[in-house]
Amino acid sequence: MTGSTRRTFLKTALAAGAASSALGLGFPAIAAKKPIKVGAVQPFSGGLELFGNQAKLGLDLAVREINEAGGILGHPVEILYEDNKTDPKTSVERTTKLIKRDEVVAVTGPITSNARDAMAPAHGRLKTPLLYATNYEGGACGRYIFSFNTVPNQELAKLLPHMNETAGDSYYMFGADYVWPQKMFETAEGIIKRLGGKTVGTEFTPWGVKEFAPIVRRIADSGAKVLIFALPGADGITFIKQAEDFGLMKNVTVAFLGFSEAYLGAFGAGKGQNMWVTVPLVSSSDEPGVQDFVARIRKNAGGDVTISHYVMTHYNALNALKAGLEKAGEPDREAAVDGVAGLTIDSPTGSVAIDAASHHVTLNMYLAKTEGAGLDTVRALGSLAPQSGCA
Amino acid sequence: MEQLFILTLDASNFILAIVLVAMGLVIIFGLMNVINMAHGEVFLLGAYTVVLVERAGGHFWLGLLLAPLVVGLVGLVVEELVVRHVYHRFLDTILATWGLSIAIKQAVVIAFGPASHTVTNPIAASIEIFGTPYPVYRLFIMAVAISVIGVTFWLFFRTAFGLAARGVIANRDMAACLGIDTRRLDRLTFAYGAALAGLAGAVMAPIMSVDPQMGLGFLIPAFLAILVGGAGHLAGPLLGAAAIGGTDTLTANLWSPVVAQIVVFTMAIVVIRLFPRGLAGRWLGR
Repeated sequence: MTGSTRRTFLKTALAAGAASSALGLGFPAIAAKKPIKVGAVQPFSGGLELFGNQAKLGLDLAVREINEAGGILGHPVEILYEDNKTDPKTSVERTTKLIKRDEVVAVTGPITSNARDAMAPAHGRLKTPLLYATNYEGGACGRYIFSFNTVPNQELAKLLPHMNETAGDSYYMFGADYVWPQKMFETAEGIIKRLGGKTVGTEFTPWGVKEFAPIVRRIADSGAKVLIFALPGADGITFIKQAEDFGLMKNVTVAFLGFSEAYLGAFGAGKGQNMWVTVPLVSSSDEPGVQDFVARIRKNAGGDVTISHYVMTHYNALNALKAGLEKAGEPDREAAVDGVAGLTIDSPTGSVAIDAASHHVTLNMYLAKTEGAGLDTVRALGSLAPQSGCA
Repeated sequence: MEQLFILTLDASNFILAIVLVAMGLVIIFGLMNVINMAHGEVFLLGAYTVVLVERAGGHFWLGLLLAPLVVGLVGLVVEELVVRHVYHRFLDTILATWGLSIAIKQAVVIAFGPASHTVTNPIAASIEIFGTPYPVYRLFIMAVAISVIGVTFWLFFRTAFGLAARGVIANRDMAACLGIDTRRLDRLTFAYGAALAGLAGAVMAPIMSVDPQMGLGFLIPAFLAILVGGAGHLAGPLLGAAAIGGTDTLTANLWSPVVAQIVVFTMAIVVIRLFPRGLAGRWLGR
């Protein structure tokens, strides 16, 4: 009996030793497993802090829940936040530092496309996954890039047919002069043609313009019934305010691209009403999964914070990393890529499937509109697959 | 004809908005030789004063009244603590005021958060002009700008203070020898410039997003207007704003805002190349 126990013990010890050296952790790893580090390069100053803070809400909750449930493969998770100052050059410096000095297993972020495009080559060269979780124009592809938010077709495919039915079939497209609105409008153009609608004008504006009277006038004169609007941030808010003043919103229904709850309250009481959007999360939704998620985020943040889809997509990104590493069985960078690709995870709005080849996600979308002081779900659209723009 | 009238109305509106911002800037930049990089943030403080007043339950008009006073006071403090130490080091004024602008912006983020705030439009009505609705509040902004121009010109050309101030600008040492308190004039001029920016921020707040980055949107055209118009004369920003704002609105109307920006910057480069002292320097002399 005694002998057999000792033999069993030896076997177990040997197996454990073999297992841990296979993990590359050295021998006394079981006693105190060293934390798995994950980087987060986000704007916490310089203009887009609103979105950086949204990402942080989701990441903070994900880390806490993962650690409370025993970590990843027994390792605690630690998230290292870096402020990219809303600047591409700083983003590259921060992510390089995270990868080389802190030896993170993956990096989440950033928000803007120019920061992402600046960071992507570093991630390819240093072979570290970048978990991007912002809605964007598509086409960011590669072994080390994952996208956890939407691409143009997911936002437009159901939104435009709805506009066509309810508001009218003539469209004016107006947005900021950079890649995301341009790709959005390209996709929109195709959908409008299929619907038999017509585009009466397409227009772009440089960043930082604060006077929109000429454009508001031109949109009104065009007789368009629907304004497809892709001017993010403060400029967008300024435009909507001025469009309200000039009475444009009475004659034109706005399809607001890239909308999130972060905009609510910025237009003034009773303004910015009846603007239509499709988003991966509406935080006022009565779906039990969403309500539970919203409650958990608020409890973790310790206050009545605004919750937009950015909170959820960043939360999803970290949970996908956990599931991927557990599937691959190893806490390293290559295992993360292999593990996350092709994975389907649970999320507050149902399952999220990460395509094995394109690394983009199929997820549930919701048609919603601004009403009163909130964003109200009009209907659940079911899951929509991405046209990632990857070959 | 109608088209032309509406175009003129839009252009005047934009030009006067630029003048409103540029006036304070030209007083500090042109007359005191301080490039105030924090001018946009002073504009910002004006807008946030209104936000604060509205939050405390006060009305917009109270905020509009308080904004220039509060911001003028801030200007007084800033002049005393920072700017007066760098008057004679031209390049350092850029660094000092730039640092100040970052500090103010981040202080606003800490105090009010990074999100956009909204200021209620106090005159929601609009009037019909040739069948298109025109917001009355925009007419009010134009009236404010014209009053500001009037008061500023009166102050600098019709009062003892203005005479002394222009004396200091023309020859500081001589003015001091003649018994003019140059410190007091610097302080008052800086505070007046800041107060104008504060007023501009407050009056523009209802028609734009009030957020920590809002200062930049009008600061760039205002700087351009001063460069084009000439910094040496109070009339500089008027000419400059007319050139910048007029070109911008016209091109944006006939073509697109993207082309408008290209045209405006090209024009600015050409004017600065041909008339280094600006349009006012060319035509009004000094």
